[in-house]
Amino acid sequence: MIVRIRADRIDFYYDRFLIEADGHVRVEASNGTTITGDAFSMDLKLDRFLIASHVHLRSPGGSLEGAAIADFLAFDRIYFVPVISKPDRWTYENNDFTHPLKGRIMPGDVFYFPDLLDSHVSLRAKSATIETTQFVRFNGVTALLLHQGLPLSSYYVYFGANANLGQNSLSGANLDATWNATGSANSTTALHLRYDAYNHTYLGFEQHMAGNDQHEYAVFSVNPFTSPDKYWNLVTGEHLGSKFEISTFTQLYTYQYGLGMPSASAQTTYVTMVQALNRSYLQDFFNFTNYNMIGPKTAAEPDHPNTMQLSWNSYNDQILKAPLYFQTSFGLGYNHDAYGLQNYGGVEYTTIWNQSVGLTFSLPNVKIGDRERPYDLYYFNAVLNTSRDWNSVPHHVNSQVSTESLSRQFSRFVNSYLSYSVQNTSDLYLQGGYSPSPAILPGGVLYTPFEAFRGADTLRALTLGTTYSASPNFVTTLTFSHHQDFPAAYPGLFSLPPLNAIGGYTYSNYLGQPPWQLGAEVRARVSPHLVLDVQRVYYFHFGNQIWSPSFVVQLTS
Amino acid sequence: MRLGALVCVLLLLAAGEPVTVTGQLLAYQDGYIFFTTGDGFRVAPNVAILNEQTKEPSKQLPGPRDYARAVFNDAGQVVEIDLSDKPYPLEPLSDAAQAFVVTASSPYPNPELGAPAQTTANGVPQTFTGRMVLVKFEVQVPPTTPLNAEVYIATDVSGWNPQAIEMDRVDALHFVVVRRMASGTILHYFYTRGTMQTEEVGPNGLSIKPRELIVSDADTNSTNSVVAAWADTNRPNFLQQPSVFPTPYNPAPFPNLPHGVRTPAPNAP
Repeated sequence: MIVRIRADRIDFYYDRFLIEADGHVRVEASNGTTITGDAFSMDLKLDRFLIASHVHLRSPGGSLEGAAIADFLAFDRIYFVPVISKPDRWTYENNDFTHPLKGRIMPGDVFYFPDLLDSHVSLRAKSATIETTQFVRFNGVTALLLHQGLPLSSYYVYFGANANLGQNSLSGANLDATWNATGSANSTTALHLRYDAYNHTYLGFEQHMAGNDQHEYAVFSVNPFTSPDKYWNLVTGEHLGSKFEISTFTQLYTYQYGLGMPSASAQTTYVTMVQALNRSYLQDFFNFTNYNMIGPKTAAEPDHPNTMQLSWNSYNDQILKAPLYFQTSFGLGYNHDAYGLQNYGGVEYTTIWNQSVGLTFSLPNVKIGDRERPYDLYYFNAVLNTSRDWNSVPHHVNSQVSTESLSRQFSRFVNSYLSYSVQNTSDLYLQGGYSPSPAILPGGVLYTPFEAFRGADTLRALTLGTTYSASPNFVTTLTFSHHQDFPAAYPGLFSLPPLNAIGGYTYSNYLGQPPWQLGAEVRARVSPHLVLDVQRVYYFHFGNQIWSPSFVVQLTS
Repeated sequence: MRLGALVCVLLLLAAGEPVTVTGQLLAYQDGYIFFTTGDGFRVAPNVAILNEQTKEPSKQLPGPRDYARAVFNDAGQVVEIDLSDKPYPLEPLSDAAQAFVVTASSPYPNPELGAPAQTTANGVPQTFTGRMVLVKFEVQVPPTTPLNAEVYIATDVSGWNPQAIEMDRVDALHFVVVRRMASGTILHYFYTRGTMQTEEVGPNGLSIKPRELIVSDADTNSTNSVVAAWADTNRPNFLQQPSVFPTPYNPAPFPNLPHGVRTPAPNAP
């Protein structure tokens, strides 16, 4: 049902999904009913509204005056207090306005206004259109942020259950103020004012579309819209039947001022298909990339690699009735780039086939200690991942990761865990492989201990983490890690991974991690609808690294 | 019932205590005052409308959302209305006040209200008063989850933002977070690793419908979930990241070998 509201003042409480309106309220519903009154209150999540004081109801059953009317939309029940010669109580069932149930006792809270004493108005509007259980669209809006008003022509809020309208195609940002300008039950149009460490302040645009029942979706975005470096993204997804789905992600990069002729351009497309099988599934993954869409006039790499990986994956199955689970996977891959993928022995390999097999064992939640006293109980978890990947270039890669952890909840507020993980990776060639060569430090100094590296590394990490949660609105986490690796970390020897837009490393496991690390994170709710998260890592003066490159600061709603 | 109410009224009058009703107002019109209980009371023509704090005549007429106390005379008419900025405690209507409620039709039972309350899995009747209660989300992640992964909850009350609620690591396989929510909330949610490309999927690899949680009146609600798999499980080297172009297929597993180290060759010793 669609409900349209006009009033002298319409307030929206975002944290509680409440709409409160006062003064000359006029409500028009798509079932042909028009109601006027002095006050309006609607709980969008409970799907009910109330109009009170000097109520005039015009319905297929005729026109009536009353003191209050409450419509429980989800239950098709309307509760009315008419004032004819005397007040009365009428209930309408299933929108049948011609047969009121006069005198039937009503639920006790049908005419209650919500308690708003501790709530803050998020935005004020002149009119609103509501599709029940789906969205609300406000017009003539003043958004209220930190007691300041920001005029907007409209604002749209989706509160339905279709998660596909949350599919997004934007990269991360430290701060994202989103103006959902307009939308419906199946689409959203949004303008983003963003900040990140690379692009600083910029605008992004995003259009979402989603079908009913979560069957299909499409998202298009341009980001940053106000910089010559533009990423045009398209994300789509579709369920075909109950056992097959396909999703795609296509990105076009252009370097262009405004919408002028680009001086550089690249494109990449990912396609993922999943077919469910009996207690397993097949996944086909495809990627095609063009690093140069302009032509030979630009200096960009001409490569256009493509990859296809087909894998079979089992469920995480329990071994007999033991608390031990295992999962297996097999994969087959094809990789091609006419400009070459790998040079080995003077041969430029343009095509590489690969096959893989993987096994995962896990032992979740083994309880140790007195089960009657939860704060004295320890939990033991263990995971072993092992895999081998064969390539048509004659080598294979073995990978093994084992993790064990012991955790305990000390009190309602404090939880700690101790974990130890070992990651072994070896890249083994049938002939030759990695030769003993010294690495070169900045300044041209040779670092000879690296000659021991023959294509196999071992990364060990011991981590002690403690979380103190004083309340749901304030959480502090301290994480202390000691890394003991081969090849050993040495200041300036290894390049750090590139940072993403919010200051984090783009990949997690890399050679040369500082051996001692202390990370701290504080997360606090700063307003009913905003959470502030601040993180930083201390490296104990590892070379010239004292702290992680920057504070990671994020505001989320 | 009516006899009992009459006895109550007579007893109160004998004790010199006027009958009163407190609460929040729904309407003040047509010679009646209505409270949010839906009850309407006849107002005396010479009613005094006072400010509760100052005890002076109020400058405003009673209106919806106002908090008020109504004082009755012997005839069941409201002779005094005390308006307040602060809420009056919600009190059930006394039998004496019930006798003054004006209604054209005789009340009769509502069969829908006699229906048994919904019960929890433990068979406890479930009620929803809307009070704020603690909700604990605990999740077991797949054993293939990266060691430094962060886990979040995306919900329908945050526009399906994939980083809406950040969870805290409990151990190698578990994350937890506690939130305060109103009882009666019907929450739809699912777990992510921060993006929709790394959202949870079912054991069959297909995306799942959001989970549902109905927050009950219990002081603490808790939900334990198991994530079967993440959407990016089988393509860690090819994770689609907006604004990042993938590197060509790299069969060497070490992403940052130092400068000067020779690439693999068949003639290596």
